[in-house]
Amino acid sequence: MNAPNELSRAPRVSTDAAAVSGVVARLRADFGDRAATTPAVRDQHSHGEGLADAALPDVVVFPHTNAEVAAIVGLCNAARVPVIAFGVGTSLEGHVAALYGGVCMDLSQMHHILEVNAADLDCRVQAGVTREQLNADLKGTGLFFPIDPGANATIGGMAATRASGTNAVRYGTMRENVLGLTVVTADGRIVRTGGRARKSAAGYDLTRLFVGAEGTLGIITEVQLRLYGVPAAISAAVCQFETLEGAVDAVINAIQHGIPVARIELLDDVQMDACIRYSKLAGFAVKPTLFFEFHGSEAGVAEQAATMQEITTEFGGCAFEWATKPEERTRLWKARHAAYYAAMAMKPGTQGFATDACVPISRLADCIMETKADIATTGLTAPIVGHVGDGNFHLVVLFDPADPGQRAQAEGLAKRVSLRAIAMGGTCTGEHGIGVHKLDALVVEHGEAVELMRTLKRAFDPNDILNPGKTVPL
Amino acid sequence: MLDPAVHAKLATLLPPSALLTAAEDTKPYECDGLTIYRELPAAVVLPDTEAQVAAILATCHAARIPVVARGAGTSLSGGALPDRAGIVLSLAKFRKIIAVDPLTRTTIVQPGVRNLAISEAAAAHGLYYAPDPSSQIACTIGGNVAENAGGVHCLKYGLTVHNVRRVRGVLITGEIVEFGGEALDSAGYDLLALVNGSEGLLAVITEVTVKLTPKPLLAQVALAAFDDIERAGAAVGAIIGAGIIPAGLEMMDQPATRAVEQYVHANYPLDAAAVLLVESDGTPEEVAAEMAEIRRVLAEAGATEIRISKDEAQRLLFWSGRKAAFPAVGRITPDYYCMDGTIPRRALPHVLQRIGEMSAEFGLRCANVFHAGDGNLHPLILFDANKPGETERTEAFGAKILELCIEVGGTVTGEHGVGVEKLGGMCVQFAPGELSRFLGIKAAFDAAGLLNPGKGVPTLQRCAEMGKMHVHHGQLRHPELPRF
Repeated sequence: MNAPNELSRAPRVSTDAAAVSGVVARLRADFGDRAATTPAVRDQHSHGEGLADAALPDVVVFPHTNAEVAAIVGLCNAARVPVIAFGVGTSLEGHVAALYGGVCMDLSQMHHILEVNAADLDCRVQAGVTREQLNADLKGTGLFFPIDPGANATIGGMAATRASGTNAVRYGTMRENVLGLTVVTADGRIVRTGGRARKSAAGYDLTRLFVGAEGTLGIITEVQLRLYGVPAAISAAVCQFETLEGAVDAVINAIQHGIPVARIELLDDVQMDACIRYSKLAGFAVKPTLFFEFHGSEAGVAEQAATMQEITTEFGGCAFEWATKPEERTRLWKARHAAYYAAMAMKPGTQGFATDACVPISRLADCIMETKADIATTGLTAPIVGHVGDGNFHLVVLFDPADPGQRAQAEGLAKRVSLRAIAMGGTCTGEHGIGVHKLDALVVEHGEAVELMRTLKRAFDPNDILNPGKTVPL
Repeated sequence: MLDPAVHAKLATLLPPSALLTAAEDTKPYECDGLTIYRELPAAVVLPDTEAQVAAILATCHAARIPVVARGAGTSLSGGALPDRAGIVLSLAKFRKIIAVDPLTRTTIVQPGVRNLAISEAAAAHGLYYAPDPSSQIACTIGGNVAENAGGVHCLKYGLTVHNVRRVRGVLITGEIVEFGGEALDSAGYDLLALVNGSEGLLAVITEVTVKLTPKPLLAQVALAAFDDIERAGAAVGAIIGAGIIPAGLEMMDQPATRAVEQYVHANYPLDAAAVLLVESDGTPEEVAAEMAEIRRVLAEAGATEIRISKDEAQRLLFWSGRKAAFPAVGRITPDYYCMDGTIPRRALPHVLQRIGEMSAEFGLRCANVFHAGDGNLHPLILFDANKPGETERTEAFGAKILELCIEVGGTVTGEHGVGVEKLGGMCVQFAPGELSRFLGIKAAFDAAGLLNPGKGVPTLQRCAEMGKMHVHHGQLRHPELPRF
């Protein structure tokens, strides 16, 4: 919601050129080709997706082991040089921008699946394993990892940003699905949190503290994940509505009825228009639309779907369009996941960024309808998509980067969305995180508790070397 | 003895009936469910507003007086054990259910509301609060949050941390802070998760928003007998490995079933080496499909007998023995020690076999009753404290069990908390790197170390001994309550 240059927060880290070049030289010596300083590699590691406010690291290093990560962090801590963890760069809030230069730690070469324990329904992976890689590896075991933020993000990045996605309504977010971590802390120590046991009442919940800390309290190198049995039956359906309100009310009603839907996605008319064109979805109208997916036994799925159809009909939804074959489902969800690119394709030459409001389900209709009206007043194009089953929705706000007025207007709209969600008892971020763009909103949302977050940050990272300038305003 | 100036200050904040200092008044607060530790506090305060809580804490902070928060006092790890130099802050008067919202399926309650009272209040909407520690008729939600309480149904529905949206609390400085929020997620560091299970070391909880769960239309339980305890342990893994997450998955070994049968007459198969209870809930269609699958897996795993409850009365009868296991064991032995280790599920057969071997080595009987689905063991070591050397042997046996739990990748406490009881085990389980993070977290919230001092996280000096719960001749606090 704010450009990083507006956040004129003084860096607490050293930007001392001699210290930085000392670290770079040492990394070049120790890691050879695995410590890159070419402009192309640095540029590639200067930003995620979303607003392209790039900030270049001085060097990008590709560790292979926990011990290497620990050595790099130890080196940076001694020299007071920033170190920023990087997965595949799909974060949306500027999490990976090297605001004060320093070392980018690219974990993508730590991509081994360390163990899969089918009888325990869990697995342990290195941080650089991607979501799709993990699920491909699990094929044949009858298990899967459900969290699906759309992008093929790394598991480490998903844990660090507390990602969720389209089926959080059924399976929860990374918060519920990370059982334990290996983390390198600012002092270069390797710490293991949580474990194989399903529950522990011993000590503070370090696992959940590191999950969502965006690399500011430690660098996640291994993740123990919960897995699930592939459901016996899966079916997906599409339901189109005359009004946006009808679609949202149908969702609220379904949640209230406790239907265990695996996914409910809302696309407003503008987003549907974009997706029909971009993903060549034939047979659909430009109308507010819900995508559903049901998981369970054959009988359970049929029952869930029947109840859901009753509810949607009551709120003006059309008959379900079914996708029971895996390839049809895949096509449907690909179209949903391409929503961001579809939106961008609507206005070539524009940039876009995503908002991430999440409100209690009882306020969802209010929040979406007020936001829709707000968009109309700006004249901007901003399609709405959302994992509405958990109260979370996004706008993709499009603006012309050559027009500073339009950018300011877009940022103003995004800020109002955050504040509206907070005022309704919700949050400025359901899944994307704080990064650099939502530091101010965090303060509005949490007030006094931000001081505690600040104190924790100082306790864990006294020299402020870990992803400085992000997540918590110091 | 409370500092007179502090006493005078507290007396301005509270009516005389809410400020107790005479020994006969403070005596009821000297211990919690872990009765081997007892201590009289300097004073007990019973505020009834959040403003009073904040003023009390600020007063104690200024005077550097320790504060121990207390709910119903059912902790099994000494979480509410008083500090001799400090005050006990009872939240017994915070009993209001502030709001029940069927639309968001949440309810806002004060910390002194009993766990079961939440479900009772939500019942009219077809909802309930899922975590169900066995002491749920007495224990309070504030204590549940502080201890991250579990229960029989947490396998499917999660622990307290999975069922709490928002906590409002007061720091030792008197500042009021909100953790989490009403929406599914909340921005920034997950302070809510830190407060859950923090055992009263970080903040005093004054309000909680919990998630409610729709009541399943149907619940059925399968009772399966095995003639070999390891085979029963393997069956637990087979059920989970088949992708089934039952609503409850509990196990009892033969010493346990024989003890409870005399007590509840549930017609358990007494010749079986172990009994599994597997619950399925949902719509009738879902339950039918899941039960068929459970029956198949149990049969394949070598169950010698499988019974499925035919109605609600029979379901409750199947459960009655499990719920009454502790009082039942208390009737057949002068003393018992209760352990609370948790292990990865797949280690169950190995751990059960080792416990059996150790039982022979130490010459002590051991009954196993536990949340098998979570791998949360509650081995009960049966002994007689009047026999010379038996207590020491029991302690050694217990310590070995906890070491075994850690060795296979588990933890020294699954759900009862560390309290004063397991400070020693913490040192075995955690390396200095982790312990120093814990101490950093504590310092961020309570730099002066005044909230519940001496609990939860050990100093290195304490890293010497493993703790256990010792019940002597039924001197269990609130012996009438079902537990575990």
